[in-house]
Amino acid sequence: MFAPEPMKVNGYVEALITYNDGEIHKWKFPRMEELGYTQRYFKERYRKFANEYVRMDSFAAIRPDVARRIARLNNHDPSNPPAVVLLVWYSSQIAPPGPDGSYRSTPLRANVLFTYFVKPGDLE
Amino acid sequence: MSVKGAVKAWNQFFFAPVSPLPIAVFRILFALLVIADLVLLSPDWLAWFGQDGWVSMATVRKLEPGVRINLFALMPAGDLWPEVLFWVFLAFALFLLMGFMTRASSIAVFICLASIQQRNPYIIHPGDTFMRVAGFFLMFAPAGAAFSLDRLIRIRRGREGPEIAPRSPWAQRMIQFELAFAYLTACWWKTMGSDWVDGTAVYYVWHLDQFRRFPIPAFLQSMIAVRIESWLTMSIEFSLGVFVWFKELRYAVLLLGLLLHLSIEYSMNVPLFEWALLSAYVLFIDPDDLQRAMRWVRARFRMRAAAVPQSE
Repeated sequence: MFAPEPMKVNGYVEALITYNDGEIHKWKFPRMEELGYTQRYFKERYRKFANEYVRMDSFAAIRPDVARRIARLNNHDPSNPPAVVLLVWYSSQIAPPGPDGSYRSTPLRANVLFTYFVKPGDLE
Repeated sequence: MSVKGAVKAWNQFFFAPVSPLPIAVFRILFALLVIADLVLLSPDWLAWFGQDGWVSMATVRKLEPGVRINLFALMPAGDLWPEVLFWVFLAFALFLLMGFMTRASSIAVFICLASIQQRNPYIIHPGDTFMRVAGFFLMFAPAGAAFSLDRLIRIRRGREGPEIAPRSPWAQRMIQFELAFAYLTACWWKTMGSDWVDGTAVYYVWHLDQFRRFPIPAFLQSMIAVRIESWLTMSIEFSLGVFVWFKELRYAVLLLGLLLHLSIEYSMNVPLFEWALLSAYVLFIDPDDLQRAMRWVRARFRMRAAAVPQSE
């Protein structure tokens, strides 16, 4: 693991869902740092999936499927279905250590990974 | 060494019969890990492997072309069959644990394991890959030769005596090689980057919030400690790939590996990864030592059982 170099970024993937009436709702993959010890053990594969695949451009082909599923998960009102799903990667770089090993990081940045316009058939 | 001598040593190493105790214990540990994995996956089974899961079969096929061992590809539409697969997988994992229809169970477990990893390859970690490859070789191993219902049935039918006959260990050797090779390549790969070589790698690892588990004492995060930890990790991985084959060094190297994995298990959240690799350590234990250890454990249990009525 962590070869040839360890990851140097902390981050998470969120989705911004815009509904037909213009309302915007935020949805996020389970974040390990926000879960209890037991839940973390159960949900770790979400971290792997979101942070190591969904956010990588080399696996961009999975993003439409992901966006469609998020739209389905957030389709609560038939009269106001999700219209657009934005996948966003929030990240902060881990800067090289200070001379005494002190931790430094860069400010959190948001990158839009993907915009998906939901089709009626996606929600069935 | 002459060519003839080398061939003889090769044959001796792979095919001279040895006690099947280590591979039987590995079978039990392997099955426990598969069951634990299924329990962890169960709440999200259909999200990962169902028809309307996170990634569709069509997308997986496009990204991972070629012939794959994947039962999901043969299933009719709907979520019924993926759910059936879960229960079939669990049933065979339990059979493997008990050593019931061991050969058939190991084949079924391997096919199911390969299927879920091919159905959604975007959630698997190196421990899963290790399990899949080990599961492949386990199909060929005499894994039900000891500690199994199969053996009890054979004894009952008079087809086997109380002594456990030695068996050819080639499949066990392949899993041992797989483990040693995994460590060696992990070490080799780390030398390709600069962070492990200059000793700063563990600093970055300690600060990955997404992996963090229990708190790490401050003194282990100082720059000197971080450098030692980085280099020690590589040294232990190298030792587990090379020195583990030398009988005199084997147990010391395995102990270092155990400490490495337990420290990772404490500090980082990578479910079952550490245990998957540690389970195969048992294959390096001398069968006589394993038997001695089991006799000791059994004696402790007997003593405890005998002590209970006295104390009452």
